[in-house]
Amino acid sequence: MRLSFFLPALALLAAASSPAQTFVFKGERWEINDPFKMDSSIPPKPVVDAKKGTINVIRGEIVRVSNTGGMEVTLTRKLSEVTEVIWPLPSRLKDAQDNVSRGEPAKALDNVEAVLKFFEPIKNVPGSWWARASIVKLDALDRLENDAATESFLTAFEKEEAAKLPEVATQIQLARLMQRARKGEHDAVIKESTELLTKVDTAELQARLHLVKGNSLFASKKYEAAMATYLRIPVFFGSETEIVPKAMLGAARSFRGMDSPSLRDQKLDTVANRYLYDIIVSYPVSKEAEEAKKMLPKEERAKAEADQKKIAAGGPLPDGVIMAKPKLAAEEKVEGNK
Amino acid sequence: MLIKESRTYKLAKAALLAVLIALTPVTSDLKAQARPLPAAEKKEDPLSLLYKDAIKNLEEKKYKQALVLFEELDTKAVDVEPKLKAVVSFQKSLCHFFIKDWPRAEAELTAFLDKFPKGTEDFLSDTDNRRGTAELLLIEAFSKQGKWELALVRLEKIRTNSLARPEERVNAFTLSAQIIVDRAKSSPEDVKRAAYAQAITLLKQATADGISTPERREAAYKLVEMYTKLGLTKEATQLKNEIDAKSSGSPVEVVRSNFQRLEIGDARFSGAETAADENFRADFYRQALTNYQGTLRRANLSSSFGRAIEAKQNEVDTLTKNFPKPNPEQAANLEKTKQEVVQFKKIQEEFNANKDYDAFISYRIGLCLLELKRPWEAHVAFLDIFENSPGFSRISGAYYYHILALRRIGRNNEAQAKCKEFISKFPKDEQVSSIALILGDISQEREEFPEAIAHYKWVQANVKSLMPEVVEEIDFRIAACLFSQVDWAPAQKAFEEFLKKHERSPVRQQVLYMNALCSFFQGKYKETKADFDKYEKEYPKGQFIPDVRYRQAIVKFGTSPRDIPGTIKLCEDWLKDYSKDNTEEVMSQMPEVYTLIGDANIALADEIDKKVKDADRDVRLNAKTPKKAEFVEIKAKSEKEKEVVTNKAIDAYEAAARSARTNPQALEFVLGELRKLLPGRGEHKRMRDLFKEIFDWNHNDPKAMTYLYEVIRSTERMGDMPEFAAESEKVRKKFSAQLADARKAVDTLERKQGVTQPEIDVAKASVRKLSAELEGELAKVEVKRQVSIADQKKRALKILSDAVSESINDRTQEGTEKLIVFLAEKLSRKIKRVKAGTTPEPGTYTSTEAEKELVKLLRLDDHRESLVAQARGFFALGQLAIFTREPEKTAANFAKIAANYKAEELNPTILAMVGDSLLAKGDQKKAADYFGYILEHSRSSEYADYGFAGLAEIAFDNKKYAEALSLCNEAIDNNILMSKELDLRFTRARSLAELSKYADAKKEFEEIAKTKEWRGEKTAASLYWLGLMAERQATNDMGYNEAIAYYRRCHMTWKKYEVWAAKSYFASAKLFANKLNQKDAAKVLLKEMLEKDRIKDTREAQEAKSFLLGL
Repeated sequence: MRLSFFLPALALLAAASSPAQTFVFKGERWEINDPFKMDSSIPPKPVVDAKKGTINVIRGEIVRVSNTGGMEVTLTRKLSEVTEVIWPLPSRLKDAQDNVSRGEPAKALDNVEAVLKFFEPIKNVPGSWWARASIVKLDALDRLENDAATESFLTAFEKEEAAKLPEVATQIQLARLMQRARKGEHDAVIKESTELLTKVDTAELQARLHLVKGNSLFASKKYEAAMATYLRIPVFFGSETEIVPKAMLGAARSFRGMDSPSLRDQKLDTVANRYLYDIIVSYPVSKEAEEAKKMLPKEERAKAEADQKKIAAGGPLPDGVIMAKPKLAAEEKVEGNK
Repeated sequence: MLIKESRTYKLAKAALLAVLIALTPVTSDLKAQARPLPAAEKKEDPLSLLYKDAIKNLEEKKYKQALVLFEELDTKAVDVEPKLKAVVSFQKSLCHFFIKDWPRAEAELTAFLDKFPKGTEDFLSDTDNRRGTAELLLIEAFSKQGKWELALVRLEKIRTNSLARPEERVNAFTLSAQIIVDRAKSSPEDVKRAAYAQAITLLKQATADGISTPERREAAYKLVEMYTKLGLTKEATQLKNEIDAKSSGSPVEVVRSNFQRLEIGDARFSGAETAADENFRADFYRQALTNYQGTLRRANLSSSFGRAIEAKQNEVDTLTKNFPKPNPEQAANLEKTKQEVVQFKKIQEEFNANKDYDAFISYRIGLCLLELKRPWEAHVAFLDIFENSPGFSRISGAYYYHILALRRIGRNNEAQAKCKEFISKFPKDEQVSSIALILGDISQEREEFPEAIAHYKWVQANVKSLMPEVVEEIDFRIAACLFSQVDWAPAQKAFEEFLKKHERSPVRQQVLYMNALCSFFQGKYKETKADFDKYEKEYPKGQFIPDVRYRQAIVKFGTSPRDIPGTIKLCEDWLKDYSKDNTEEVMSQMPEVYTLIGDANIALADEIDKKVKDADRDVRLNAKTPKKAEFVEIKAKSEKEKEVVTNKAIDAYEAAARSARTNPQALEFVLGELRKLLPGRGEHKRMRDLFKEIFDWNHNDPKAMTYLYEVIRSTERMGDMPEFAAESEKVRKKFSAQLADARKAVDTLERKQGVTQPEIDVAKASVRKLSAELEGELAKVEVKRQVSIADQKKRALKILSDAVSESINDRTQEGTEKLIVFLAEKLSRKIKRVKAGTTPEPGTYTSTEAEKELVKLLRLDDHRESLVAQARGFFALGQLAIFTREPEKTAANFAKIAANYKAEELNPTILAMVGDSLLAKGDQKKAADYFGYILEHSRSSEYADYGFAGLAEIAFDNKKYAEALSLCNEAIDNNILMSKELDLRFTRARSLAELSKYADAKKEFEEIAKTKEWRGEKTAASLYWLGLMAERQATNDMGYNEAIAYYRRCHMTWKKYEVWAAKSYFASAKLFANKLNQKDAAKVLLKEMLEKDRIKDTREAQEAKSFLLGL
């Protein structure tokens, strides 16, 4: 009988916060116009509601019109006075993330720069998306494999207050590891990523670290270890949809690396092809799907493409296929950026 | 199956509930409690003091003391406003409620609701007169006493009261649902399910306007629970995600959400376990997996707790700092926050105490993946448990399923190691028996019987807690292994012991049968008969009866004297009884029965053959006696008789072959017999037809090529028909009498006197004419024979062409290349070779004709659209040129492939051969593409070593020595060494040398140099490289002399490999001249070098000439 816990439970739970764009000042909350929300005019302009605050980055102010007793009063607050930001995931940041996962780093940079610019004056305020956007930028730069640009950005980023946040610090460590991996320091990368894995807690970081470690193991031709590392990602972090296809691609390559005439019975080439097939079927718009298509023998590629179309049209899942899982809602809530 | 409600789950649930209880506010709004009684405004009267005291006790959870004080207040405060009386009544009811005195709580709450229609009015809160709360508490008090109906009636009133506060109505819906479910708790399953459905209807109404308030979210949580219980996972998951999106992120919500996800996963998992439909099962496992994967891991949860505790602690610190002297409201707020810190810590402690949390999630994920036929991922999931949670409470289950996963991915050695590890670590675990069996079963399955027996015996010796049925199974398996490895006597002993030890075993029938077989295979036919008789007596309709009857026939055949008619009779009866039986065992036995009939007839034929031989001897002995005719007749009769039984034997063997599709051993045996019998009897057509039929069973069979070869050979032999020999014989007979007469006539004339020479010449001319006529007639027959042979050869090629054409479009059929090579070889044999530069006679079959015929036979015109067929055409022409020793043509055809085809359009055979050709021609880029593709896609093919060797060579040529070494190491370490071992070892040695790893390189070169099988160019090259390395390391005369010694061995022993000999000569000469100051010796050596015909034109020779001039 659990009724007795019901009423107290109600008393415990606080009202959910609304996801509207809000700046919190000491003792006051202002709803803010979303600069990333555009109207349908040509060229599109940001949707502005006079009652909501509008940011003037140059002046470092927020301006709002208030109607008190029929009188319109323009209120101004300094950006430096903001104590908390309540802001759902900005659309352009989401676009940038999608661009990264689709292998469009240049577009990602274009989108993420706008977000960085907007949040720059309030980058250290709780709830600001600046740190998150910086991490996406880091990802985009990593995809571009432009070591000079990455190095310059990382050096600047490391000096920021946000870089001290444990999660961001780990992301920076991760980016540094990726740089080292590109330089071929694989033994060191394997060692450090293994150590770091015991310290990070979020699924995303765990998945990313496994990917970095898997890549270095693969580059060191330690295919078996690489396979086991890559496969941990779809097995344990299946909702990390950005990383899973990369891991599956790595696993497929590792299986091919493991293959030899003496292991013919294990049909590792078929296992590898199965992962490539899964990428095409489950992550059809990813960059990895394109890569998988190149890697698959053409007969199997044709089958994978046909099956993907059938599934997209609502057909049944072929045996053993596990579709891409969306990230679970709990991890995307507004508080996620705090 | 294995999923039960985990300890983790129970612990976390308990922790959650503990938090919820602890945070229960003793009264409602703390603000109101702080408000003093109106009477106290002027002066602190005794009633006010009493009230404050009572409230204090209530806040401190001293409910009984508070109740006493409230009752005293109730008695004393007679003349006060109704709302004050209502407040006291309400507080009293709260005390009863928290004391859990349900009847008194019920009475007090009923009284409060009846007497005070305005409730506490504005005394405790401006907006809440506590009637709603009292209603809910009363309902709960009813529920506690099992007064479900009363509770539901009250709830319905709230639900339908449009004036009630919306959140009260939401709570009423939720409570109603909960009561309906609780009411059905002990009912049968169908009633429970009906209650869940009713609860869902109510809860849907509670959440109809969204889940933005805590009350609605609570209803939503319940709704998720109901959906889960009814197996509506999709709805549960959807709503769950919605709730999570609105979550406040408190640890309570995080834990609750997390375990609800686990619950949904478990529900799906058990749904999958019981689902009859395979498709649903897979879907359910997928859904379970998604939920398990979405569950937060320990690190994440711990960190979430840590953050929440830190935030709450900061809140406590801020409140303490900001309000050093807090008013009652602030104090209450501070106290509440402190309590939250304590409770969050409690959850964290509970959580930290449960070490199995992560392992359980991995375990469940592993199970789902195993069920979803993803054994590699399952392997990784279980590995995670061994690596990170070795103390997992279900570690034995993890071992068991990990072993299953390892078996499914074909890693039997690892699976066995894991079995042993388990048995040694957990000798008393309940899984030990099944794991012990797996250990031996793996070896048994791989037909490694001695290992299997050793494993089983190891289990018998080391595992003390085997279940009786496992002991029995192991005894049986050991005997079966001995049987399988044809150790008949020990196997029989084991079976006999088994029968004594396990009299009532379920496998008794099989043991009796196998025991009899042991006698049979030892040739103890008497014992065999007795054993089979025993079996037939015990199991007259036993599963092995067909085999027993067949063996009984063999016993008849094997006993002395042989009972051949008896054998044949038993076999024919067997065929009569089982010829329409389509069971696998009978189908597989049928060729054996036919074979026995064949063998019996052959034995008969052998017996008759003795008669034939005797008759033949008698004929010779009685050549001049009247009895001769009698013996001739006996001989002829016996021969006829022998022919009849031999034909019967052949017919039986043929029938055996045709029915042996599922019995390869029987097939091989009878084909061997037929190969001996049919060609000798000129029955090529019969042979061809039989092998064609067998070839057509499965063109991908490993023996298909052998069958095809027989088809081709028999077809070719069919051309030389016996009719031609008979016709020639007839012609010879016809002419032999005439010729004899004519020769006799010549002889007579020559002996006769007076015959003139012209007369004799005429007679001789007649003989010559007849001879010529005979020759002419025989030639006519021979022409016909040659036409017939050519015709059949054409037919044979057509059969081969059909076989190639069938798969020429299929890139994945690697056997096609073998057929192409076979075809090319056949055609190359037809070519008449002429010396270089000589024009062949008109009409001669040249390589050009062979090329045309090859193109025709491959039917390339029919496959114009097929890229791979066209590529195979070029490959075939290249191969033909290899047989005709025309390397330029080979290179040209392979170059066409390289120019027109991407690697992915070709198969490993072509990629390897063409890649090698490209490499030899210096087209490294294209060659690298081809070799890279082999490495990427075909590492397990027979041509994988071409990929490694080719890429290593290219890397070495480009001075990427580390890369070359890595490729060679990878191939050598993984034993990918079929045709290219020498190349790979040579490149590895050179790479080591270039990387200055001289000691390792020296070992490698010496190994190559001393290996007889590799004697040739690489031996010469290795000697040169040994010299070169010695030279590079030399610091004194001794060192240079060592280098010279290697160089000398090279140029003296391996002159035919001019490149290496030249290099060695020149290098020695330079050392003599530059390092050892022996210019004369250098000159002598260089002169000797330049005198060699083979060396004269090498690059080194040109350099040597210049060097010599400078000396």
